[in-house]
Amino acid sequence: MTGTDAAQTRPAATRPAARRSLQTLNPLATIAATLPVIVVLVFTRDILTPAVFIGIAYLLLLTGTRMTSRRLILLLVALPVAAAVLTVGFGLWTDSSDLDHSVELLRIGDYRLFLSAFEVGAATALRLVSILSLALLTGLTSSGPDMVRSAVAHLRVPYRVGYAALASYRFVPRFRYELDVIRKAHRARGARGGRGPIAALRRTIGYIVPLLASAIRHAERVSLSMDARAFGAHPTRTERYEVPLRVRDVVFVVVLWVVAAVTIIGIRIL
Amino acid sequence: MPATALTLDQVRIRHADRSAHTPDGVTLHVDSGEVVLLLGPSGCGKSTAALAMNGLVPHAIPADLEGSVTVCGVDAARSTTAQLAEHVAMVFQDPDAQIVTESVLDDVCFALENMLLPVDEVLARAESALRTVGLWHRRDDSPDVLSGGARQRLAIACALAMRTAVLVLDEPTANLDPSGSADVYAVLRRVVADGTRSVVLIEHDVDAALPIVDRVVVLDREGRTAFSGTPRDVIAGHADEIASLGVWLPTATAVAQRLASAGIDLGTVPLTMPELTEAMRNTDLPEPSVDVTERPHGERLISIRDLTVSRGERTLLDRVSLDVHTGDFLAIIGANGAGKTTLIQAMTGIARPPKRHVELAGIDAATRDTRALAQRAGFVFQNPEHQFVANSVADELAYGLHVHGASSGRRLDDAEIAERVERMLARLGLSEHRDVHPFLLSGGQKRRLSVGTALIVGAPILALDEPTFGQDRERADELMAMLSDLRDAGSTIIVVSHDMQLVAEYASRVVVLADGAIAADGPTGSILSDNTLLQRNSLRQPPLARAMSELADPAWHRVTRLADLPEPLR
Repeated sequence: MTGTDAAQTRPAATRPAARRSLQTLNPLATIAATLPVIVVLVFTRDILTPAVFIGIAYLLLLTGTRMTSRRLILLLVALPVAAAVLTVGFGLWTDSSDLDHSVELLRIGDYRLFLSAFEVGAATALRLVSILSLALLTGLTSSGPDMVRSAVAHLRVPYRVGYAALASYRFVPRFRYELDVIRKAHRARGARGGRGPIAALRRTIGYIVPLLASAIRHAERVSLSMDARAFGAHPTRTERYEVPLRVRDVVFVVVLWVVAAVTIIGIRIL
Repeated sequence: MPATALTLDQVRIRHADRSAHTPDGVTLHVDSGEVVLLLGPSGCGKSTAALAMNGLVPHAIPADLEGSVTVCGVDAARSTTAQLAEHVAMVFQDPDAQIVTESVLDDVCFALENMLLPVDEVLARAESALRTVGLWHRRDDSPDVLSGGARQRLAIACALAMRTAVLVLDEPTANLDPSGSADVYAVLRRVVADGTRSVVLIEHDVDAALPIVDRVVVLDREGRTAFSGTPRDVIAGHADEIASLGVWLPTATAVAQRLASAGIDLGTVPLTMPELTEAMRNTDLPEPSVDVTERPHGERLISIRDLTVSRGERTLLDRVSLDVHTGDFLAIIGANGAGKTTLIQAMTGIARPPKRHVELAGIDAATRDTRALAQRAGFVFQNPEHQFVANSVADELAYGLHVHGASSGRRLDDAEIAERVERMLARLGLSEHRDVHPFLLSGGQKRRLSVGTALIVGAPILALDEPTFGQDRERADELMAMLSDLRDAGSTIIVVSHDMQLVAEYASRVVVLADGAIAADGPTGSILSDNTLLQRNSLRQPPLARAMSELADPAWHRVTRLADLPEPLR
């Protein structure tokens, strides 16, 4: 070796810290457990049901996943703020002619604001947040590669499709960098068309051609490199990472379904 | 007699959308364990031939292929690329495009998993390959955090782990900086040392490649095999023909040729720098007349005072002060991460510097007025495509005139614009391509057009960030010669480059950056002949200067470029 490469003396990255309980689950299990609940939530209209599921999702997320400060901000600040904003927004927007008019909050001229409108707003907002927090159960506990491996192993997704998807994950940071360079390069030519949203839109369209051209070229190169490495030589490939479906995955799915069913039916009966 | 690992017999390839065959009849035999360097002018089809060696052409890239390609007894036309991967492994030019997975170890295992090897075997091979390229300790890292050179070593490890009989490397160092390519060649030396693997190497940097090759094959402009033999037989025997094909000779050979034309006969044809030094020591040399007269400084055009740029916690530029004068051909050099790109972008306003630290031809470079900036400095990015905004070559040139008007700022009418565009097209040699979409030009044409778009606005300063990155020597030289002409016509040129010989040949002044600060600033010759200074800043002398510094006569130590050598006799 010529000289000591700074990169070489860097210590190797440590393995990810011990995984929390939810992260040991198969990603397919978290999807299977939450998907039916999400579908049911889409059709609820009350406040209590989504609120209970938000509670369940938060409990699982906060105890079962590795919390970083960004994730905490997302869960404890961003989502509640979004829920509040949506509640007010939907509340003001709702057509109140069919609603209960017993509690009037505000009257400005002809405009009357009823408590019931806010209830509709809150129900809608909580519905969205509950769906999002259940989706986060999968999103925050599994990685894209694990999802792909699991889908290939258990759902019979062809590995060529799965691994093509994996390779495309890697495009995202490259495109972000490329877009930044293209923006600078176009600015260097002098912006045409002035200010305002329409000019901005036209400029953005101008970025697409070079970005697309380089994306296609990059994708071609990556696929040549994959072909050259025997990709698709055999109907299956060796898998070093097992992403097994274990008993606990089944237990998780069944328990979540039962809790969900009891909650939904219980709320209806009470 | 050793077995033949790879045979190309009269191979002609025509891409699906082309009318001509490139290569048009390449014949090549590679014995097992042999290292072959494939040379040829740009556009002769070297890379296409390489892609045919594992069947990517014509199986993945549609093309007509005549003749035959045989790998370890297997006819490439009748087997798939995936099957041929048992015999041929490939390393491509762009390290970024060869990464499929999320970690270094996974990437090396990718091919082995595709080959359905058992897990133990996969891991054992991956470990040995990563150890060979010196990346085993980084196996858990994401490839994203590796340097370019390390990423290319990773690509080599991926190919080595396949344990194929043949390894094909297509321009493996073209996208790397000097320290990255030195690392890659250190690895390749280790790989070829045991002589068990056949290697086909396509490389424009002959100086780097020659020490490891057994045989050189030169293709002519049509991609036919012109010469084949040991490096000495081919290069020493056909130096003139090879040079006239537009193929770069080893620097030592080129120097010997130049000396011979000046009437100095070295008595041998040197291929490497040590050979050149040795031959020159044994020859009576005249005093070289190195032209050290500096051109008088023009007026001050850019003035940087105490410029500090930081991003997050990192200080990219640290209290930099620098003046650029009219007529300078300034090269900014430095190790990776020294702040070269930050400096050239800040001094031309491409990335807004802090206010009142950079004065650019009478305005503060921190201005938000992009028109004012573009009228003063044209900027050419590494990839010319990034800058194209119009749908034809002529419109691309007209764009700047529509936006900026004449250099005085006056609006131009259509007739004036058409006339100026016509003149620029002729100057760039692009007149017959006026209606072509810029993306459909060849690489060299795109580069010329991108320079033209900056020139036509009439900016007195032209700045280029790594303008020769990923290009072969012929194109690099063509561009640099164009920049030299512009400078002679009164423009001021600023380049960031890691190609030290190009800097030596063309720049009038060199600024060395180290950790965001200016480590040295002076005339090219004096900076590049100072090896201690360069080494202190993780830079290497250009090959010619390195060879000359070994000579006894200190007058020769100042020779850094071919033009400094004695003049050819009339």
